[in-house]
Amino acid sequence: MYSDYAYLIVALPILAFVLTIFLGWYLPKGGGFFTILATFGALIISLGIFREIYPTNTIVHQSAPWFATFNFGILIDPLAIVMLLMVSFVCTLIHIYALGYMDGDPGLARYFAEAGLFTAAMLGLVLSDNILQLFIFWELVGLCSYLLIGFWYRKPTAASAAKKAFLVTRVGDIMFLAGIIILYTNLAKLNLVLPDGAYLLQFQTIYSNLALIPPNQLTYVALLLFGGAVGKSGQFPLHVWLPDAMEGPTTVSAMIHAATMVTAGVYLVARSFPLFYAAPHALTVVAYVGGFTALFAATLGLVMFDIKRVLAFSTISQLGYMMLGLGVGATVGATAVGVSMFHLIGHSFFKALLFLCAGSVIHATGTNDMREMGGVLKSMKWTGSCMLAGCLALVGFPLTTGFYSKDEIIVTAYENGLGANGWLPYVFAITAVLLTAIYSFRLWFLTFDGRPRSDYGKHESPWVMVGPLVILAICALGMGVPTQGPFYDYVGNNFEHYDLNFDELAVIGGHHVENEEAVHEPFIIKILPLVFCLGGILIAALFYSRWRKFDSSRISPKNDPIRHIIFRRYYLNEFYTGWFTETIVYGLALLTNAFDLKIVDGIVNKISELLVGFGGTVRKVQTGLIQDYITAIVLGLTVLLILIKLVMVVAT
Amino acid sequence: MISNAMSLMIAIPLIAAIIAFINGKIARYAALIGSLISLIISLQMFQEFDRTSSVMQFVESYDWVPSIGVKYTLGVDGIGMPLVLLSTIVTLMVVIYAWGETKRPNQFFALLLLNEFGVLGVFTALDFFLFYIFWEIVLIPMFFLIGIWGGPRKDYAAIKFFIYTHVASLVMLLSIFALYFSYRTPSGARTFDMLTLIQATSDSTIFSPMLLNVIFIGLLIGFMVKMPAVPFHTWLPDAHVEAPTAGSVILAALLLKMGGYGLFRIIMPMLPNVSHHYITLMAIIGTVSIIYGGFMALSQKDIKKMVAYSSVSHMGYVMLGAGAFTWLSVEGAMFQQFSHGLITCVLFMTAGTIGHTTGTRMIADLGGLADRMPKFAFLMMASFLASLGLPGMCGFVAELAVLTGSYATLPIYVLIVIFGGIVVTAGYHLWAIQKTMFGPILKKYLDLHDPHSYELLSMSILVALMIYFGINPSPIMGIMHVAADQLVNGSVLTLAQMGVI
Repeated sequence: MYSDYAYLIVALPILAFVLTIFLGWYLPKGGGFFTILATFGALIISLGIFREIYPTNTIVHQSAPWFATFNFGILIDPLAIVMLLMVSFVCTLIHIYALGYMDGDPGLARYFAEAGLFTAAMLGLVLSDNILQLFIFWELVGLCSYLLIGFWYRKPTAASAAKKAFLVTRVGDIMFLAGIIILYTNLAKLNLVLPDGAYLLQFQTIYSNLALIPPNQLTYVALLLFGGAVGKSGQFPLHVWLPDAMEGPTTVSAMIHAATMVTAGVYLVARSFPLFYAAPHALTVVAYVGGFTALFAATLGLVMFDIKRVLAFSTISQLGYMMLGLGVGATVGATAVGVSMFHLIGHSFFKALLFLCAGSVIHATGTNDMREMGGVLKSMKWTGSCMLAGCLALVGFPLTTGFYSKDEIIVTAYENGLGANGWLPYVFAITAVLLTAIYSFRLWFLTFDGRPRSDYGKHESPWVMVGPLVILAICALGMGVPTQGPFYDYVGNNFEHYDLNFDELAVIGGHHVENEEAVHEPFIIKILPLVFCLGGILIAALFYSRWRKFDSSRISPKNDPIRHIIFRRYYLNEFYTGWFTETIVYGLALLTNAFDLKIVDGIVNKISELLVGFGGTVRKVQTGLIQDYITAIVLGLTVLLILIKLVMVVAT
Repeated sequence: MISNAMSLMIAIPLIAAIIAFINGKIARYAALIGSLISLIISLQMFQEFDRTSSVMQFVESYDWVPSIGVKYTLGVDGIGMPLVLLSTIVTLMVVIYAWGETKRPNQFFALLLLNEFGVLGVFTALDFFLFYIFWEIVLIPMFFLIGIWGGPRKDYAAIKFFIYTHVASLVMLLSIFALYFSYRTPSGARTFDMLTLIQATSDSTIFSPMLLNVIFIGLLIGFMVKMPAVPFHTWLPDAHVEAPTAGSVILAALLLKMGGYGLFRIIMPMLPNVSHHYITLMAIIGTVSIIYGGFMALSQKDIKKMVAYSSVSHMGYVMLGAGAFTWLSVEGAMFQQFSHGLITCVLFMTAGTIGHTTGTRMIADLGGLADRMPKFAFLMMASFLASLGLPGMCGFVAELAVLTGSYATLPIYVLIVIFGGIVVTAGYHLWAIQKTMFGPILKKYLDLHDPHSYELLSMSILVALMIYFGINPSPIMGIMHVAADQLVNGSVLTLAQMGVI
């Protein structure tokens, strides 16, 4: 019954967008309750659908034609439903929190309208039944992030961060688009006879015809799609927009980093997992990029002082884990999707929690800089404890949500290393565990522990803000234990609903499927992540807590070159904006302009000059006598006709 | 549908133009009513249009100068109908936008209507002679619009526009004459009938390959200058920068479409019979136009010039789609004409509004306007996003169809466009928005406010149409599909073979 109303999951937030943008200005709180109610409505419907399809293990699929050979439709399978539940749940909490956080902003109606559209776009992305519709909502997510990051558009940094986010993800998007076009052409070449209601770019059609497409084409498509995911999910080297996205309100950062947007890339890879699996080398690339990003971003998180930036780099790093989790599917097959998605869901809880806690702290203290904080726990007990819960989940402390998924990913990466796919992803991932623990607790100790380092505001945030924090903290700490097993089963078997055979695809993709029981990881491999995690916390405590034994500035002084390079984020920003965009692209544009003026238009003007010079002498013909003109016209026509005749004679 | 509806639709703007010219006081009302009636007739025609048929509809045919085979023949199919609709919509919107024009209003509105008269004639004429007359009529009002209401360099721009496009028209005329003099009907008479002549080009006993290639290049140049395609584009930025806003809108939204229309109506049916190098040529020119136009737009300092180059870039998709010759690419190219017509209207309107409210169009001198002009900022943003190809707006549908359709036959060119053009396109649009609308409001603009309500109304309607056709393109795409299928698979039928006369 609920599945008949599946379209409302997207329609309600869009309705909220329309209502808020037109009426919100005249309503209290900018009409925020429209957005909250709509998102909550989407959550209720998602829950209803979940209750219908979970016990019976079925899927929901509805489809209608759009134009040409394209369609739009709704596909809710295990993969989609867990995303729907997470997005609508976390977004509802964030919107409620925003009631308090954004209170008093003159653009409140605009905020809630854009937030509603953002939610709608993300939900629409998740329940798309074809890859083109997924792309369309993907772009709308990008648009909304552009609008929301640039929400305070009067601030030049916000306006330019918004533009950066849009353009950098756009680089990924064009790869995605190219991937779709190549995929479409390959499918169209097969001349499939599609049953009624089936369309070329639907996931079912893609899944069931993978074996017919040439493997090298599959690799192109997979890598291009992955390019899109790299842009959206902030993977190296297109991660540069994500830390700047902090210029928006903190609630926006929470939405972008936790529930929506960045998870879209991971979801895309998970959704097209059979394609990646069938494409030779594709998953290896995913694993390397993911693993490297996890480590790379963790090093950046170590040196930042802006509390939100630390979290931003931590997001990038965690997304790297999710990608790695999918990449190791080369060894373990589709169960990787379950593990990676579990990390995604868990991450969205604890990252939303961490951002909202950070927002709460910023709201109270009035600063982003951790050097001006210290001892905040005294005035903000609720926020501080919730943030501690978030940090524990982030580092993968035993029994928290992060523990289950992250450990599983790392251990699988080890198995993956046993095969022919190389050890590096595993080494990256395990090193990143240590760094994650250090930067997370560095953040917590610097903010909440020690003595106040400046005269900041000391009060706890209002209950509309703390309430969502507590709920999220409970999820971050407690969701792992009860749901882990069923979740892996449910989502890991997602592709059993479709007409595809992983053994057949494994041959095409060149994978050797390991027998799950045959592999016994040494005890040290199983325990190592935990050791690193606890070790990291200990190191952070020794450097930054009230029991500090070492001074960080002595280990790494101000003029330390490595520290400097990391602090400048490996000069990638300078490379992209300073060198590539401003020098190469803009320089090319200026060169084109000069070429256009001097050469292309220059030739036109030269010709006309010559003709005008010629005309000067001919002008004497203009006698003003009608007889002369008639003679000229007749003469001209004769010449014209002779010319045509001549051309025709010569040509025939 | 009443008989001769088509002639009526074309004639009403002309009558209204005369009324407007005679009496300046009621000029704008005459323009409003005249363009409104034309729009209503075209909407009714669109309603009654048989969406599954590929034959010419609403055909009217009368002898005009029988001795030389000139007839007065009008008719539309899936190629012409959307453009007729576009012309009537755009003209009405321009009249609304220009409601406050006070300089010589009688001539101004008369010229706008005369323009509509000419453009509608081009999109419906099925006789080469008639076609060419309408084609040339269009030049005259635009020449005067630039020459009288233009900016500081209006004389240069107007004359450049006139001579450049006129020379191209003459080249086209030569080709038309060559067609005319090569073919005789079975009864031995000459004819200017468009479909008959185009059909005859597939007969290699009448048109030798070499003759046909020469004729083809003449026609192609005529249309490429109009579109305009690189390297024949340099008249366009000058004309746009100097033209009054209403003139720019008409120029970009309708006059450029005449070139694209020529591609579908005349060039494409001949394409299978001419040298296949022409396909490569069209693909290269289309690709270069897209990328070159994008880089040119990026380097501009005047926002109106930037928009002008974006037109060059977007019309490149029409060329690429036509050259790729698959049903999807052709359908997309046709829709690109329609969608660019809507989008570019608002782009030029926003550039014009910025120009007359702030007194400058230099991007560097602007800043923070969104603060004082929130409604305008919203519309400008919507149109810029549509222009950069945001899904949900009509530009995306067109570009997607062109690129997807073209990949099957021209994969390399498509990849070059995707990787070389799309991000640059997004770049200059966002850059312009950021510089003009965002950031702190500059002191000198503190007392600005949203523009006149008629300007906002006109832009809002167009933005609504962009979103409507972006979400639901099938009303237009459906009839284009039939036409595109016919172009790619079928041969050309004459009106007599279609059984419509």
